[in-house]
Amino acid sequence: MNSYFINKPNLDRLVKSLSKVYKIFAPVKSDNNRFYKKVGEDGLGESVIGEVRAVEPIKGFYFPARTKIAEYFSSKGYSDEKERPVAIIGAKSCDLVSFKVMDYVYRQEPFRDPLYALKREKGLVISSDCTLYGETCFCVAIDIMPYPLEGFDINLSGLDSGYIAEIGSGKGEKIVRDYFKLFQGAEPYIERRNTNRKKLKEDLSEHVKKSGIPQKDSIQAAFKSKFDSSLWEEVSKTCVECGACNMICPACHCFILMDQKRENGFERLRMWDSCLLMSFARVAGGANPRKLLAHRMRNRFDKKFNFFQDTIGRFGCTGCGRCIEACPGKIDIREVLSRLKG
Amino acid sequence: MIDNPYLPIKTEVLDVIEESPTIKTFSLKPEVSLNFKAGQFIEMSIPGKGEAPFTPSSSPHEKDKLEVTIMKAGRITAMIHDLKKGDTVGLRGPYGKEYPLSEYEGKEILLVGGGVGLAPLRALFLALVHDIEKYKSVLFCCGSRTPSDIIYKDCVLDKWQNLDNKKIEVRVTVDRKDDSWKGKVGLVTTTLDKLEINLKNSVSIVCGPPIMMKFATFKLLEVGYKPEQIYLSMEKNMSCGIGKCGHCRLGNFYACKDGPVFRYDKISHIHEIWD
Repeated sequence: MNSYFINKPNLDRLVKSLSKVYKIFAPVKSDNNRFYKKVGEDGLGESVIGEVRAVEPIKGFYFPARTKIAEYFSSKGYSDEKERPVAIIGAKSCDLVSFKVMDYVYRQEPFRDPLYALKREKGLVISSDCTLYGETCFCVAIDIMPYPLEGFDINLSGLDSGYIAEIGSGKGEKIVRDYFKLFQGAEPYIERRNTNRKKLKEDLSEHVKKSGIPQKDSIQAAFKSKFDSSLWEEVSKTCVECGACNMICPACHCFILMDQKRENGFERLRMWDSCLLMSFARVAGGANPRKLLAHRMRNRFDKKFNFFQDTIGRFGCTGCGRCIEACPGKIDIREVLSRLKG
Repeated sequence: MIDNPYLPIKTEVLDVIEESPTIKTFSLKPEVSLNFKAGQFIEMSIPGKGEAPFTPSSSPHEKDKLEVTIMKAGRITAMIHDLKKGDTVGLRGPYGKEYPLSEYEGKEILLVGGGVGLAPLRALFLALVHDIEKYKSVLFCCGSRTPSDIIYKDCVLDKWQNLDNKKIEVRVTVDRKDDSWKGKVGLVTTTLDKLEINLKNSVSIVCGPPIMMKFATFKLLEVGYKPEQIYLSMEKNMSCGIGKCGHCRLGNFYACKDGPVFRYDKISHIHEIWD
């Protein structure tokens, strides 16, 4: 795909302009963490485009934690159609990879999820290369690069004076065309970007090495061989069943429907759910295929490293390491993966 | 308005039939016909309260209304049991894979049902009887715990016993009899002991509580059915019904979209199937 160069003042101008069409969110730093905040009217403001992923995944912009999904027995129905579309600026490679899972689940026919599909269709994704890695990052261990290769409309690779803007879709191409005077040729900058990427990848690979994660292609078989192992009981010893790992995971997509009464009818809510919770697979009458916490823990890895590998040819894990940060029981997915070996 | 698969269709409760102390059949008329096939399920909601999946038990050839047979087992089913004629509920569906009737053509078909598991099998039985000329024979084995637990009593004990068609047979058994019971006593698996069926040209379909499904399946294997001749209706926790919410995963399948009807050979390797 074509690449251009855009300097920092021009990117600010572009963002200001886009904010007339989109609600724009970008990572803003607080202490040493990054959180998505609404930006745009004043350009990029305080946001950090490069560096490393934000604390929260971007799934919430497309599939909110708690959202009204239907109003019923009233004539007007319900849709989000009138809402302004969302543009994310500064999403990272691990975030984009999670779209592979989410899109498979939510855009799959014959029952497309209309709200998710609409947000994806209308939304804009301007991603960026990581220029740092976090302590819990391990994307490269599962062959995901710390810079986006696909799944973006435009990707920004930060350089001293500006960014290389790589076009990844028709939507991205149209933006560059519409604001062509803000861009210039990228040729002089490409080599510098490639050097930066190579350096970060090597540094992160070195960092990840000490976790002892098995080779990516051996993980599924290793998981299967440990299905009946005591590993799951051991790993789940410190699990307090809070579901934080599910909530913070960019690729966890499970939800539950809840109904409630409203003044003029009823509404149905869709809320994120957690497979670590006892009630997740329980049926009426009390039968439960996963009564044991160890089995629910195993199920989480089964879904991520076995089910999704078979169904869509990739893991339901992006190597972002968010679950490691979120777990009050200090359960470390890297360690669990390393213990699949042998 | 966008097409929304989570939106229930307004539905009137036409009638409530008490089948047993814990089981009722609800006759429902949705504003828009659902057109289900035997084995597919629907999501039924109590407005503002919640939703649960059920497999219709009426004939799929009946277009303007459908019946669901529901055991009082949890929060939603308890509310459903309080429904009266004229009440409003919500329906979504139909969802999932139906019984593959074309694969059953020309065959000797054995249905094995236990308790409220007779519900999907009644829809299947009625569909088979509707086109009985396509099938070699139908044997329906119905098991219940006690005589008072038998559902569809007027059908299984009377109407279906007198269908006047040699191709059709209905066997009824109870685990424990009472003074009034003159019929067979024993687990439903005992009705499978003396089958006059050409196994090579037969299929069997099982539905019931997990423990009954397990032992019925093992019994069928013991009498000579091959895994690929056994069809099971799997019950799992389902919320969305359309393969998205993740609750009903069964190995690499979702019971809601790849099932609930599964051929046993496709799922026999999966841990958790009988739990």
